Amino acid sequence: MALSLTVNGDQRSLDIEGDTPLLWVLRDELGLKGTKFGCGAGLCGACTVHLNGQPVRSCSTPVESAAGGEVTTIEGLAEDGQLHALQKAWIAEGVPQCGYCQSGQIMSAAHLLATNPAPARDDIVAAMTGNLCRCGTYSRIIAAVESVVGNSSMENSLAYDATAAGEVS
Amino acid sequence: MAMNRRDFLKVSAGTSGSLMLSLSLPGCSGMPTGYTQETGEWKPDAWLEITDNDEIHFTLARVEMGQGVYTGLTTLIAEELEVDPGAITPRFAPVAPEYRNPLYKLQLTGGSTSIATSWEPLRTAGASARQMLILAAARVWQVDAAECSARQGRVIHPNGLDSMRYGQLVELASKEVIRGDIALKPASQWKYIGKQAGKLDARAKSTGTAVYGIDVELPGMVYGVVSRPPRYGARVQAFNDSEVRAMPGVLDVFEIERGVAIVADKYWRARKAQDALKAEWDNADALSLSTDEVFASYRRAADEDPGESERSEGDYDAAVDAAGKVFEAEYSQPYLAHSTLEPMNATAWYRDNSIEVWAPTQAPDLGRIAAARVTDLAPSDVAINTTFLGGGFGRRLTQDYIEEAAAVAYRVKKPVKLIWSREEDTQHDLYRPAMLHRMQAGLDGNQLTGWHHQIVGPQLLDWYVRNAAPAQYPWAPKFMYGTLGKVGLLAEGIATPKDMSAIEGAIEYPYNVDNIDIRHTHTDPGVPVTFWRSVGYSHNGFAVETFMDELAHETGEDPYQFRRKLLAGQTRHLEVLDRAVQMAGWDTPVAEGRGRGIALFRSFGTFVAQVVEAGVENGTIKVYKVVCAVDCGRVVNPRIVEDQIEGGIIFGLTAALYGEITHEGGQVQQSNFHDYQLMRQYEMPEVTVDIVQSSEAPTGVGEPGVPPVIPALGNALFALTGKRQRSLPLKADA
Repeated sequence: MALSLTVNGDQRSLDIEGDTPLLWVLRDELGLKGTKFGCGAGLCGACTVHLNGQPVRSCSTPVESAAGGEVTTIEGLAEDGQLHALQKAWIAEGVPQCGYCQSGQIMSAAHLLATNPAPARDDIVAAMTGNLCRCGTYSRIIAAVESVVGNSSMENSLAYDATAAGEVS
Repeated sequence: MAMNRRDFLKVSAGTSGSLMLSLSLPGCSGMPTGYTQETGEWKPDAWLEITDNDEIHFTLARVEMGQGVYTGLTTLIAEELEVDPGAITPRFAPVAPEYRNPLYKLQLTGGSTSIATSWEPLRTAGASARQMLILAAARVWQVDAAECSARQGRVIHPNGLDSMRYGQLVELASKEVIRGDIALKPASQWKYIGKQAGKLDARAKSTGTAVYGIDVELPGMVYGVVSRPPRYGARVQAFNDSEVRAMPGVLDVFEIERGVAIVADKYWRARKAQDALKAEWDNADALSLSTDEVFASYRRAADEDPGESERSEGDYDAAVDAAGKVFEAEYSQPYLAHSTLEPMNATAWYRDNSIEVWAPTQAPDLGRIAAARVTDLAPSDVAINTTFLGGGFGRRLTQDYIEEAAAVAYRVKKPVKLIWSREEDTQHDLYRPAMLHRMQAGLDGNQLTGWHHQIVGPQLLDWYVRNAAPAQYPWAPKFMYGTLGKVGLLAEGIATPKDMSAIEGAIEYPYNVDNIDIRHTHTDPGVPVTFWRSVGYSHNGFAVETFMDELAHETGEDPYQFRRKLLAGQTRHLEVLDRAVQMAGWDTPVAEGRGRGIALFRSFGTFVAQVVEAGVENGTIKVYKVVCAVDCGRVVNPRIVEDQIEGGIIFGLTAALYGEITHEGGQVQQSNFHDYQLMRQYEMPEVTVDIVQSSEAPTGVGEPGVPPVIPALGNALFALTGKRQRSLPLKADA
């Protein structure tokens, strides 16, 4: 079937069987290999992307159900050439070991921060529990997310100040 | 390992004014190797390369599977070359003799050996390059080379002001000859070793740009899947060829050695066609046993055959006869899957009478053999390109997935990417063997006078030699591969002089006991098995350190003090044991509803002691804390050491809490992460890793975190409940 998707801000048109999982469309049709195949059953989270702002397991999401939607993958997380704060934290903290699960981990964390900019430790753990890591990078993941929570509250206050200054002038 | 540093250094000018240094990492040349050196047949392409525009390329002879060699080995080169590790671009090595692991004589990443075997040669290589660049600069400046120095990719003039970039010097440097041994920097001058904390691959792995095997893309590539018989050893009998062929996108359907291959233009179409496949299997030679029968057969074997003596000291039989008390226990552990998060996959392209393979593999030279074996090609007609590995843990030492991809590519003559599903990955793995341990001890009062350990189960090399032998005997005709494996094994050893896989960790029993009797009863139920993170140590650690805990309890002694008293003179064991106990607050009361357990285990040259604090909450085992002291000699990258040890702890806890592959009528019963569970974020204990500062030679860290945590958790649950669990996985309601 013919369908279109907005992927990382670009409109993409496809002709493909509607039951093809979004994962294989992203990887093989659109060449976005950062999203990984881990289990094919929504159990490991390696394939996590955002669909219309919600985290979904792309291995278990038929592309037809995403038709017309907006998809963000790990490749689309950076803005204006700047890595997402979580990506910077992942690098600074040295989170990845084999790295295979990390795109999915970062996408889950990015959704958490988009909806809850100041999550408590329990919120972070709950949000990240659907993402398996066989290497065992779990505590570095928490540290990386918490480092962004710390920084982003600082950034938010700076952004607020700048706006306030703009209003004054 | 003694070696002359000049022996392995070869220099040549590169094609465009670059300096290339050959790193012929020295093998154990004093040992008989059993193969002729294939000079001329192999390209001497093991290079550190510095280009005239200051690019530095380093060929990584070990694969990166999360254990950190991409950063760690690069740091060794960088330290002596006097450049920031981040200024070096590592690339994965092709197959060549120079890249063999000197311990195994195979191009293999495993056994927690990468840093230990590269420590001296890579630093020497970096130092040699630096010295040649200095000699070249000194010649240009007409000054004494000894007065020059190197810093941040430049040679510094004796006046301290002038300098030249390495890139400016490479052409001249390539003509320099080093006389005498190269002095390595003293530890006091290290800038990166022991200090480097970043990871060179973290950026690629945080932006989705790191290329794993599954990400390889080739022009005109098609996709393959293989349906394998549910019972190991079964063969294809018949299948509905025409119905599968009629499915959309299907290009070919055919039998290969291991099952029915389906090739389609898209991966999902291949999977849908697989749903339409109806195959009948010939089960004449198929596995038919169930898990209960595995352990029954082990017990029979143990009764009938006391096993080969693997270590004997004093007179165990006399000691046990004289003992006031004899204590016995039997332990068992199940088969375990590897569950690398990147499922098995490989991409192969047959053209021009050769095959090129792209694959996440721990043993690329064995991948060549595997591809050659299922085609009419020679191993030298097979090129292997190694990618990042989405986990290894020993699974990717076996090359069955490359063999399948090669067989499929050979037939379709197009680039083919073969991907296993998670279910296929779980059910067609080669497992950590199920094992049985019979332990017996003689006690005189509180004195442990005799230690007996009978290990019952298979040996891994029986399963591994098929591909390993021809890699070491590349001149041998293909029809000899099968027998060659056995001959090689008997004659001089393939991977090690003796198959240690069943007994490692048991025969190094460290406690001072006068009478020791350690035996292996070799029995193999036919379930495919292979290496699994920490291998034999993974099961022997549980048996030895649980039994030690039982004996402490029998004698009424504190489990820490009981061990400590038997370790006189074992300073490195004692150091980690004392540190772990101190960190854990062993002498302070544990919180209500929790128990503390301890274990101490040396593997891969590294000493590890752990204290686990655990309890039972809502009917499940809850691990609250793990403290771990580790002595791995010199530390190259402290953060990677911490990560590897912590990762090993989680790997071990996953096995202790969940790990169990069972068979019913020859079929594996588990399939995906719902019934073969891995530990998740919410189950994470607080983990503390304390690294002993040591100037001993570096040892491995990828595996040693695994073995002690399993008995330490079991011992903690015993401390809490008073009930001893002797089989894995551990149960909350035991």
